[in-house]
Amino acid sequence: MTRESFRSGFQDRMEGAILLGLGGSMVEPALATRLYRNLLNPKFEPLTLCAGALLGLCGLALLLRPEHGHGTTPRLFRQAVMLAFLCIAATAWDHMLRPPQSAGAPRTQARAAEAPIPASPVRAAEPVPARPADQAAIPTEGPALTVDGVRYVRLNIAELAMLLDKKNARAPERFAIRARLTRPARLGGTSLLARTAIVCCLADSLDVGFLARGLDGIPTGRWVEVCGRLAPLSAAERLKAKAGAPNGEAAFQVIDRARGVVAEHVRLIPEPDPPFLYEFHDAEPFAWR
Amino acid sequence: MDPAALRTAADVMTAIVLEAAPFLLLGSLCSALLATFAADRVFLRLAGKKRPAQVALGLVAGLAMPTCECGAAPLARRLLRKGAPAGAVIPFMLAGPVLNPAALAATWTAFRGDWRMAAWRALLVMLPAAAMGVLLSAGRDANILRPDREGAASEGCACCSGRAHAPGSNAAGLLLDVLRRTGREFLDMGRFLILGAAAAALCKTFLPQAWLLNLSTNLWLSVPAMLLLAVLMSICSSADAFVAASLPMIPQPALLAFLALGPMLDLKLAPAYLGIFRARPARLLIVAPAAMVFILCMGLGLAGALE
Repeated sequence: MTRESFRSGFQDRMEGAILLGLGGSMVEPALATRLYRNLLNPKFEPLTLCAGALLGLCGLALLLRPEHGHGTTPRLFRQAVMLAFLCIAATAWDHMLRPPQSAGAPRTQARAAEAPIPASPVRAAEPVPARPADQAAIPTEGPALTVDGVRYVRLNIAELAMLLDKKNARAPERFAIRARLTRPARLGGTSLLARTAIVCCLADSLDVGFLARGLDGIPTGRWVEVCGRLAPLSAAERLKAKAGAPNGEAAFQVIDRARGVVAEHVRLIPEPDPPFLYEFHDAEPFAWR
Repeated sequence: MDPAALRTAADVMTAIVLEAAPFLLLGSLCSALLATFAADRVFLRLAGKKRPAQVALGLVAGLAMPTCECGAAPLARRLLRKGAPAGAVIPFMLAGPVLNPAALAATWTAFRGDWRMAAWRALLVMLPAAAMGVLLSAGRDANILRPDREGAASEGCACCSGRAHAPGSNAAGLLLDVLRRTGREFLDMGRFLILGAAAAALCKTFLPQAWLLNLSTNLWLSVPAMLLLAVLMSICSSADAFVAASLPMIPQPALLAFLALGPMLDLKLAPAYLGIFRARPARLLIVAPAAMVFILCMGLGLAGALE
């Protein structure tokens, strides 16, 4: 290859190399499931994989068979933008591949051991009997569970919100949900069960939350599975729900302004990895994880 | 600046690019296939049709070529280069991301089977798209495309820019030609996607959305607030309905403003318009659809049509 020949094809070769890098940046997370699920809904995995492969082919075509004699105009701007993106994506991956984190939670947060603990007493305003529940009997898997003879349907917190919002649907009377417990200052320290749902990607994610009662003894920031039921919020609680939660990673926060969760049984669970919700059903069996 | 916030911005930017890139690539592939295989005369024949027919064809083309807004822009540029009239291409580019089965089904699902929201959304996109098609095809300049050195380079050499570049006669040669064109087109449009994704990620991370949502009680404030949110958040047209549906406190005209404007204008599309079109059409594409959606949604709200 002469020097002139190499020069005449240099721009195409350069862009071919960049396309290969971009293709790799799509194939890599699609194959590394955990990395992908921290950024996008896994339903897009095959699409991303195909697109990455096609970009790779385009890159190879330009790299190995550049068009000589033209196309030598410097395309520095777009090349610089693409290279900058590759650097940023690498930073994001490095960040993602570290230990898991929930929306807005500190990375140093320790993972909770899977250990049942009794539900804290329910407020007097709520006529729910504080029962000495046999917490160890709570099964860890399955679409429904029975505690003290009561059946709780497992569903995720977004599914619960969706059912409550739907005209012709009814949420189960007793249910079990998995969520992170926080007590944001903006809510006056009231317990909030929330989880981030990703419809497409992190940019359109939603923090879905319910105010909760009966969780007073549980430390803030822990992940819990709560067996319980819904109860109307008091006027004061409605005001707090309207104030909303502080920003996490999610684009929006939605807290139910009319109903809250009354915990009847609760157990600590490990933080899901990744902590996001991707699948939503409007009938049993729910995509409860 | 908070390093954690910067990391979040990097995550969001990467997520937006990874989500949109396959659709941009699909648009680039369609563009390359058109450039390689479609004869210019097909599109020139379209230019001979009357303007209402062009606009109508552009509006329904989204049903045949379902693509999101990221894929529509490179395809529109290619169609214009092949001689297709702006009266058809602009309505396709603006309305196609909403008037396709996937986006309409997503809107219907997100609003729990309320077909009225999907229908209003389609109408609120069709009207500005048609108006822009008429406006830009009636302009003084026949060519609304920006002469672009990099774009020309991506076409091949200056001597044959805009025409099929003597593709190889055998299947391997044609495939190579399509792949090279797809790659160049993707890189050329991808820079706008990346710059827009960076801007959207920074807005999402550093601008609190709460103050926009707090304007929800007043129609005069909530409609412009949701228009602004649609531009700043740059959410894909297949996902934005789910975000809108999660905001029940916002009046429906404002939600429709969010749903109608997002696919026509956001932080990814604005730089793309400026890169593809001459200054006047680009400015019109940025300002006019937003103004039209504002007027239409305010009209709907004040008339109580959505009660």
